[in-house]
Amino acid sequence: MMLSRQKPAIGPGSTTPAKENKKKKKLPKLEDFLSSRDYTGAITLSEFNRISGKGNEETDLWIAYCAFHLGDYKRAMEEYERMTKHDGCHPDVWINLACCYFFLGMYSESDKAAQRGPKSRLQNRLGFHLSHKFNEEKRLMSYHQNLQDIVEDQLSLASIHYLRSHYQEAIDIYKRILLDNRDYLALNVYVALCYYKLDYYDVSQEVLAVYLQQYPDSAIALNLKACNHFRLYNGKAAEAELKSLQEMSTPSFVFARDLIKHNMVVFRGGEGSLQVLPPLIDVIPEARLNLVIYHLKQDDIAEAYNLIKELEPTTPQEYILKGVVNAALGQEQGSKEHLKIAQQYFQLVGGSASECDTIPGRQCMASCFFILRQFEDVLIYLNSVKSYFYNDDLFNFNYAQAKAAVGNYKEAEEVFLLIQTEKIKNDYTYLSWLARCYIMNRKARLAWELYLKMETSGESFSLLQLIANDCYKMGQFYYAAKSFDVLERLDPNPEYWEGKRGACVGVFQLIIAGHEPRDTLRDVINMLRNSSNPQVEYMVRTMKKWAKENLVALP
Amino acid sequence: MADDSDEERAKGRVIQNQPYDEALEIPDGEEVASTYSPTPRVNPAERGKSVGSMESNLSGNNSEEEDEEEEEDDEFPDDMGQMGQMGQMGQMGQMGQMGQMEPLGQMGQMEPLGQRSQQQRGPPGSLQGQGGQQQQQQFNSEDEETDSSDEDDDDEDDDDDDDDDHAPLEGAYDPADYENLPVTPEIKELFQYITRYTPQSIELEHKLKPFIPDFIPAVGDIDAFIKIIRPDSKPDTLGLNVLDEPCAKQSDPTVLDLQLRAISKQTTDKKVVVKSLESAEKNPKHIDSWIESIRELRRIQPPPNVHYSKNMPDIDTLMQEWPPEFEELLKEVGLPTAELDCDLPEYVDLVCSILDVPIYKGSPHRNERVLALHVIFTLFSEFKNSQHFRTLAEENKLDNNLKESDGFGAGGGMDDNKLTF
Repeated sequence: MMLSRQKPAIGPGSTTPAKENKKKKKLPKLEDFLSSRDYTGAITLSEFNRISGKGNEETDLWIAYCAFHLGDYKRAMEEYERMTKHDGCHPDVWINLACCYFFLGMYSESDKAAQRGPKSRLQNRLGFHLSHKFNEEKRLMSYHQNLQDIVEDQLSLASIHYLRSHYQEAIDIYKRILLDNRDYLALNVYVALCYYKLDYYDVSQEVLAVYLQQYPDSAIALNLKACNHFRLYNGKAAEAELKSLQEMSTPSFVFARDLIKHNMVVFRGGEGSLQVLPPLIDVIPEARLNLVIYHLKQDDIAEAYNLIKELEPTTPQEYILKGVVNAALGQEQGSKEHLKIAQQYFQLVGGSASECDTIPGRQCMASCFFILRQFEDVLIYLNSVKSYFYNDDLFNFNYAQAKAAVGNYKEAEEVFLLIQTEKIKNDYTYLSWLARCYIMNRKARLAWELYLKMETSGESFSLLQLIANDCYKMGQFYYAAKSFDVLERLDPNPEYWEGKRGACVGVFQLIIAGHEPRDTLRDVINMLRNSSNPQVEYMVRTMKKWAKENLVALP
Repeated sequence: MADDSDEERAKGRVIQNQPYDEALEIPDGEEVASTYSPTPRVNPAERGKSVGSMESNLSGNNSEEEDEEEEEDDEFPDDMGQMGQMGQMGQMGQMGQMGQMEPLGQMGQMEPLGQRSQQQRGPPGSLQGQGGQQQQQQFNSEDEETDSSDEDDDDEDDDDDDDDDHAPLEGAYDPADYENLPVTPEIKELFQYITRYTPQSIELEHKLKPFIPDFIPAVGDIDAFIKIIRPDSKPDTLGLNVLDEPCAKQSDPTVLDLQLRAISKQTTDKKVVVKSLESAEKNPKHIDSWIESIRELRRIQPPPNVHYSKNMPDIDTLMQEWPPEFEELLKEVGLPTAELDCDLPEYVDLVCSILDVPIYKGSPHRNERVLALHVIFTLFSEFKNSQHFRTLAEENKLDNNLKESDGFGAGGGMDDNKLTF
């Protein structure tokens, strides 16, 4: 007995080369090609017949039919357009032509052509979808009312639900139809698509398996499987699925080629974006978004903004990206307007019922509060997702700032130090906040070293002021004195003298209290002597006197 | 800045806040009726293990809300350590697996949000201004941090700046700590300089580095059942029993076309489309499959037939020996070679007459010479493939004993001619 058989004995995939032999002598039949959905073969046969003089009007219709199901809508359109020019063309040709226009995105042409055909359920369905494209709600409703309780109409309605992101409603329709029609296997794929959109990737995978078992070479199903793998595991696992599809298909299989090319870029982390994505913009809705993401990753914010500024967002991803791009741009240009827009988008997504429990949704909420400077709230949201971002420098940069902003300097310092990206580490925001954390955590020396590593610039001057004042505040007078000393030399502002004077005395006090080593006094006196203020002599004298009495050696 | 944004907030409140506030008021966002909500989730039970499961976890933690809050903070470094290993495995993609582990507890922190927002954010629309501040007060008291922050929070919108100012007061310099140092009045006087300078509070800029979402794969749309009508009006099952997509194994149109020509034995005017392949070096599979299909085509193709319009002599007859005198003569004269000063048709006529192959004038297709030549080449190939003559040739007997060698030679000469045909 053999229990481990893998290949089904009946069904697709079980065909043996015997078929090839049969083909030897007999001319293949159109019906054979159609039933195996080998439309390329069917078209070739029909064309052959046409050229050898055996063609008739029906041949043309079949060519158009096959081209349509092959996804070559342009070819189908050309065939039908030719037919409409003949006298007495069948009225159905018009509705067929309208279908082609629809898939070519020529919606107004489609609308016109559809009107010229006879009234039919197909015409109603087409009108229904066209009104959706035109965003004409009233018209949509009138077509909606004309939909009947027949399978095709219901499926067409479900498709609209899907387009409008009403996935649960779509699933309900599919499940209801499946109850009565177990053999409608394709509906499983539709359900799987809905579950995918709802982020139930493993459920999607399960439902999808029913179909793939029967049709292991389905491009749509395999692509969906790859996408599920991408969400559940990683790009590599996803790519493997697409590769297996490519191996299965013959060179003349071009259906869904754009989709597959697009997803290959996605699965490879954006590799080849600039070559593949631009021509796919407005063909595949995700292409534009992915190109924006690519530019963001390259830090090319202007280009990202150009691509997305005209986009009217409808899906959560679109809202998120609009928010992200506006936030980045607002941050870069210091534009409050963009930040405000960004904050509103973030709030919209993060607060929506569908996204509030997703990771991106929480990131949105955190970003929203960050822009509003409500850091306690930022932390609530970031804490809830931090485990997914341990090594993410962008995340840690925001997270550490928020922690520092609420005074949790100890953890802020730890998180700041996790950051590896050089660009962030040289950012003044990073340097200044880290310096503050060091000082608050009584590590003023490390803050001073941050200053020493900087090139002299406006920013290094600001950092010096920060170190001087924060150290002073925290009673870390030695580095406060050192900073004021430099500041005073760069800018002889009396305020810096006052700071230095106080800080030097502060160190002196710490020495007397035994909190600073006694030989620090030498540095203090040297620093004081850098100033030409008359008070210096008196102060130095007092200090020296103390040193003498307490047997501290001074030069 | 603060003033501006405050105004803007006021404006924004009316337009934007409502859905958001609703969402915050309700701990589990399920029942929120939201106009823009793209994905109504009615099915939390079926949801993936990822974020969904943390909700159920959350509800169990209600009572420990505050404790957890504090613990969370304390444990942070350890958590980070643990997460390190998992974090390296991947990020979003790992949700499912990671969700079952430690991080679930972390997600529990979202619970306080829901609860608190119910208590604190009663008046809808107050989120950005007042609501946020109220919340902050509670946080501060929880953190048992400072005493003074309450007052500061009342100062309009400077809330975060105030945090900067006052949080550091913990551990800040306090002159009182040093009041009892045993020092001379002189030094005591000097100490006053310390408090005479008040350190500035420097505000630091915050910079949000917005998260960059993952790349988004495309799955396409669902069949809208806008399909052209089948020309034979049979019911179409596309999109129902099977997805409306072509199968992956499509025929190669060029190969199929050649096959069809071969099977139907038809000649058509249509030119065969010559296929070309871009970056062929990367597509050995395509080339192999092409070679394979053409080989298969050749195998099943019948050998080409030529139909003679008139009777031609039997090949066997033509293979008979020439008369001995003729053979003798050929030895001396040789067959006329292509060097002969005449044009090709004349030469063909010449050779054909020597070999006893007739050329019927007036053939309808003007291909009389071609037909005759076909006979000659058939004859030649017959000689070439004949075991008998091959043996003779190998034993080098042709030249002396059997004079067919000349016929052979002539054939050879013809063979060259074929190239110029």
